[in-house]
Amino acid sequence: MNHIPKMQKQPPKMKKSYNPFMFIAEAFKNLWRDRVISVASILVLASCLVLLGCFSLLVVNINVNMEKLVSLNEIVVFVDYDLPDDEVQYIGQKIRVLDNVESVEFISKDDGLESMKADYAGFEDVFDEMKESGDNPLSDSFRIKYKDNSKVTTLDYNLRQIEGVRKVNNRLDLATSLESFKNGISVIFIGFLIVLFIVSVFIIINTIKLAVNSHMEEIRVMKYIGASDWFIVVPYIIEGTIIGIFSSVIAYLFQWYIYYSLEKMVATDIQMIELASFGDIGGIVALAFLAVGILTGVIGSCISLHKNLQA
Amino acid sequence: MIEFKNVKSIYKRNNHIALDDVSFKIDDGEFVFIVGHSGAGKTTMTKLLLREMVPTSGSIIVNNYNLKKLPKFKVPKYRRSLGVVFQDFKLFPKKTVYENVAFAMQVVGTPKALIARRVPAILKSMGLIDKAKNIPEELSGGEQQRVAIARALANSPEIIVADEPTGNIDPQMAAEIMELLIWINQKFGKTVVVVTHSENLVNTYQHRVIRLDHGKVTSDRVGGMFE
Ligand SMILES: Nc1ncnc2c1ncn2[C@@H]1O[C@H](COP(=O)(O)OP(=O)(O)OP(=O)(O)O)[C@@H](O)[C@H]1O
Ligand SMILES: [Mg+2]
Repeated sequence: MNHIPKMQKQPPKMKKSYNPFMFIAEAFKNLWRDRVISVASILVLASCLVLLGCFSLLVVNINVNMEKLVSLNEIVVFVDYDLPDDEVQYIGQKIRVLDNVESVEFISKDDGLESMKADYAGFEDVFDEMKESGDNPLSDSFRIKYKDNSKVTTLDYNLRQIEGVRKVNNRLDLATSLESFKNGISVIFIGFLIVLFIVSVFIIINTIKLAVNSHMEEIRVMKYIGASDWFIVVPYIIEGTIIGIFSSVIAYLFQWYIYYSLEKMVATDIQMIELASFGDIGGIVALAFLAVGILTGVIGSCISLHKNLQA
Repeated sequence: MIEFKNVKSIYKRNNHIALDDVSFKIDDGEFVFIVGHSGAGKTTMTKLLLREMVPTSGSIIVNNYNLKKLPKFKVPKYRRSLGVVFQDFKLFPKKTVYENVAFAMQVVGTPKALIARRVPAILKSMGLIDKAKNIPEELSGGEQQRVAIARALANSPEIIVADEPTGNIDPQMAAEIMELLIWINQKFGKTVVVVTHSENLVNTYQHRVIRLDHGKVTSDRVGGMFE
């Protein structure tokens, strides 16, 4: 290109300055200008979030109640008959230091007899006689609560290794099937969540697309006067973020209200069921809503802008 | 400087040859009319100049940018070296006159203080200072086009390209806009390219005229008449 004569002097290099507040102001202006679409997007996204939230909370509570109904995290260990007390205590100590053990409760054979007596009403004298004659057919035992269902086989094995242990009663089969049931639910849960998330993004894309299409001419003009793609995109991303924040706040309040009413109802009417308290999970719900809301808003804006920036 | 060398431009969709072997060179500080009947290829030429499209073959060099080789990400920077004026003004409808001009400067990252100094000066020189707070809707066609010209000048481009700048305004206003473009050419030494099919306009002034006919340059001379 050496045939091209040198151009006249370039204008002096200007230090570029972009004001971030300008972009935020621009985003709010755009939201206000298309307020019908903005409100629609916020409500649609909030509804999706509430749906997501209800579903998640349902699964959380299924888990809580399943564990409550079948108190499975329990193994009962019987020691050999007529073991001296100090040896029994020694076994107790050995159990306590095992991995995955949460708590250990000692049940003497007399205690065992007592609770049996309570269970078999009408036959009290049989048990009383056994006690008096010192003819207790039971042995001392330990009731162990453990933490982790998935590691119960190891615990079972370790218990059997302890000298003086006669019998280990576990509900391993039930525990395993419960575990796989929970896993199955998790898979369905995650699948459903993904579908819901995609649907949300899709709906948001379409609502934001409406807004972007109404600005198509403006975007073209901005490109004519030399605006970089990022300069055009940033206000829309901020818009998406704002929509996400508003939606998640609304969704949270709504979710809180639904859950709170439900909690009250359950506490008074259906005492069998236990609800995870919203105070405990509210923080996670809020964070999740915010994250999903903002992510959907931003992804939605980016995808609907992409086409318009090609020109 | 603008240089077209054997430019051929074909619309792929219908295989229409809009420009065929077009060559010319416009030096810095020139004032040039590009004329031709409807469908001659004038707007196609503007689109090529704006790098909305690239030529099918041949080369276009503007302000030292080779448009055919210009990577996409450099297009915004290139466009800033050009000021464009459209037939339909293409102002931002919700922004005031002041904001329309200021926005062009914000787009390129001009510091606030500089914008605050420069915009009133431009508006004053265009006779628009009294309208600074109005939105485009509240202005006449001629005034709107003056705002568009003010916006085109905001970033001090070397070249002003105007595609049918007087197409949407009445003849008297049209003459005013032309005077303004000529004044910009003479006062600031900007290269001005005016695309038009208005006979009167071209014949009134003694400037270089490049004539297009069915995508080919059929004449290129100073003080050319519209026949
Ligand atoms: N996007 C397009 N796709 C296909 N053909 C096109 C396209 N744009 C323009 N053309 C054709 O290319 C030719 C030149 O069009 P162009 O718009 O450059 O004409 P023009 O000189 O600007 O006309 P006018 O004075 O009416 O604005 C015309 O025949 C037109 O039909
Ligand atoms: Mg045209």
